[in-house]
Amino acid sequence: MPETKHGDKFIVPIGPQHPALKEPGHFEFTVDGETVTGASVRLGFVHRGIEKAAEERTYIQDLYLLERICGICSHVHAMAFALGVEKLAGVTVPERAQAIRVLVAEMERIHSHLLWLGVAAHEAGFDTLFMYAWRDREKVMDLLEQLCGNRVNYSINVLGGVKEDVNDVIRDGILSAMDYLETRTVLYLKLVTTERTLIGRTRGIGIMEKQTAARLGTVGPTARASGLERDIRLEAPYAAYLQYPARIVTEQTGDLEARFIVRVKELYESFRLIRGILSTLPGGELTTKMPRRIPEGETISRVEAPRGELFYYIKSNGSDKPDRVKVRTPSINNFASVMATAVGHKLADIPMILSGIDPCFSCNDRMVSIRGSEGQQAVDWEELRLYGIEYYR
Amino acid sequence: MSENMKSILSLLIFPGGLAVMAAGMIYEYIDRKLVARFQNRVGPRWFQPLADFIKLLAKEEVIPEGIHPVLFQWLPVVAIAGALTSALYVPMFGVEPAFHFTGDLVVTIYLLSILTLCTGLAGANVANRFSIIGATRTLTQLFSYEAPFLLALFGPAIAAGSWDIAVIEQYATSHPWLMVFQPIGFLVALIGLMGKLELPPFDAPEAETEIVSGALTEYSGRGYALFRLGRSVELVIGLTLVAAFYLGGVANPLLFLAKTLGLLLIIAALQSLFARLRIDQTVGLWWRSGAVLVLLQLLVLIALKYFGVAI
Repeated sequence: MPETKHGDKFIVPIGPQHPALKEPGHFEFTVDGETVTGASVRLGFVHRGIEKAAEERTYIQDLYLLERICGICSHVHAMAFALGVEKLAGVTVPERAQAIRVLVAEMERIHSHLLWLGVAAHEAGFDTLFMYAWRDREKVMDLLEQLCGNRVNYSINVLGGVKEDVNDVIRDGILSAMDYLETRTVLYLKLVTTERTLIGRTRGIGIMEKQTAARLGTVGPTARASGLERDIRLEAPYAAYLQYPARIVTEQTGDLEARFIVRVKELYESFRLIRGILSTLPGGELTTKMPRRIPEGETISRVEAPRGELFYYIKSNGSDKPDRVKVRTPSINNFASVMATAVGHKLADIPMILSGIDPCFSCNDRMVSIRGSEGQQAVDWEELRLYGIEYYR
Repeated sequence: MSENMKSILSLLIFPGGLAVMAAGMIYEYIDRKLVARFQNRVGPRWFQPLADFIKLLAKEEVIPEGIHPVLFQWLPVVAIAGALTSALYVPMFGVEPAFHFTGDLVVTIYLLSILTLCTGLAGANVANRFSIIGATRTLTQLFSYEAPFLLALFGPAIAAGSWDIAVIEQYATSHPWLMVFQPIGFLVALIGLMGKLELPPFDAPEAETEIVSGALTEYSGRGYALFRLGRSVELVIGLTLVAAFYLGGVANPLLFLAKTLGLLLIIAALQSLFARLRIDQTVGLWWRSGAVLVLLQLLVLIALKYFGVAI
């Protein structure tokens, strides 16, 4: 990442607290008038120690803990963990459960993309689109609540299956809502491709070439908007994505407009998948028997979150608690692209470029220790515990 | 004595002073409510602008370090004084202007600019980076819309052959709507008013997702309340001016209400239709199209006048 040049430069700090940021992160933009000449980022304000906490809890408890990593894509976290643990235990999950997992994942994608559309429109000062997108998002939130009992942390996964079943009432509700949302999505696609003031803020802004996107390791819609064909649903189908294959949506221009278009078009893809699942929902059990102790071993589990590839590494030592859980959320892959594309743009474009990757700060805050680097400050678990007790005494 | 009494009344109560402030709050409410309804929100209750004002007055005014404290405290007062003074030369509420003299149109337009100027100075006065960028943008925007707005209001003045707002208003009342003959001037005046009030899509100077609150970031309490009230007052005065010049005058209170509220409806719709313009896009819009078009129209008007064609 380019270094910030201090000295007599005019630096605009964005964050940790700033109206453009919904979560804390710190960005420093060196500006010359309105033009940005340098950018740097500092993350880690919402580190929560979830990976460590996961080692202290059983697999069943971890499912609830890991679901709370992200408030927007909570289901994919639980699903990725459950898929990994089931792989370790050698358990085959019933087909109906896998299909319901994909159903909820796609509904979550709709809710996440509509949320993003609203946030991005708000950054562009287009509050009408913001309100409209969020109103329609309520539809899918209500459906998720009807199906799972919760609006945010759906908690539909259990190790070895899912908790809730889809009955006829819910199925009809989802199908009619999909029809409504599809007509709305037609409007949104028309808006983001024809509304002149919005295009003035998105077309040609934050262009990332295909090579740059590949070199920076971007994932998800951010990569797909630059023409990179990356989608875990296709590359390594999991759950029921083999039976219900997704179609990839890509754009070639790599600017903000392309990121708008990719996300809006992915909504259509989600509607199609949901309709497909509901019309041919396999019968059978919802859960299968799961051992309490997971056999020793290690595995990785990858799923496609709304923001891109979500990666889980799970290591078991044969007990009922995992030895290590490592989570890599998609936002951390995409952050470098903000810093790479920000320089040379106007200050007004920065919040849009930043929100263009759909960042999720608290999801990606990790402690990383680099071996051999100087000035390390490492404390072990016991020291940290005592420090905590002392601090709050 | 009674003459003095009358002057003081018109300065403090009606049509200047309190009446304009109250009207400003009501118009601000209508504007907010309309935009909210267009955006599928519920919107504020009718007393919200007043409640906001009282709340801000009751709050502590935090004076930041490293600034000129006198300027910091008095700039909002000057700003609202400018806005209130300009109300005296405008046919507010459909009654005759309290005072008028030849050339008061130019004076009024400059009095209306004091608010923007004070906002810019207030932002430049504090050592906050968001404020300084906001101040730069405020003043940049001032230089882009001010000339076209001025020229747009000169159109009716040339048609009426007077620089006196009251005379122009009488001319507009007794003739067909000038909006029909000078459509460009009408549009530029209306959109210029939106630029003046920093309403979306011209809200780059206070774009919250970029620079928090722009020039007024450091203001809290009384100063902020006065700046906000000043803007509401300017909204009413600006609407009255445009209605008086372009919509066939505001001969009585009923016409005043109908015409200004109609304009407010258009302004509210425009506010909710567009994404925010970047400051360079704003400047480009005004100087590439707004100023050129209105200048052309003005030249045509002057030529017609010169050759004695009735307009």
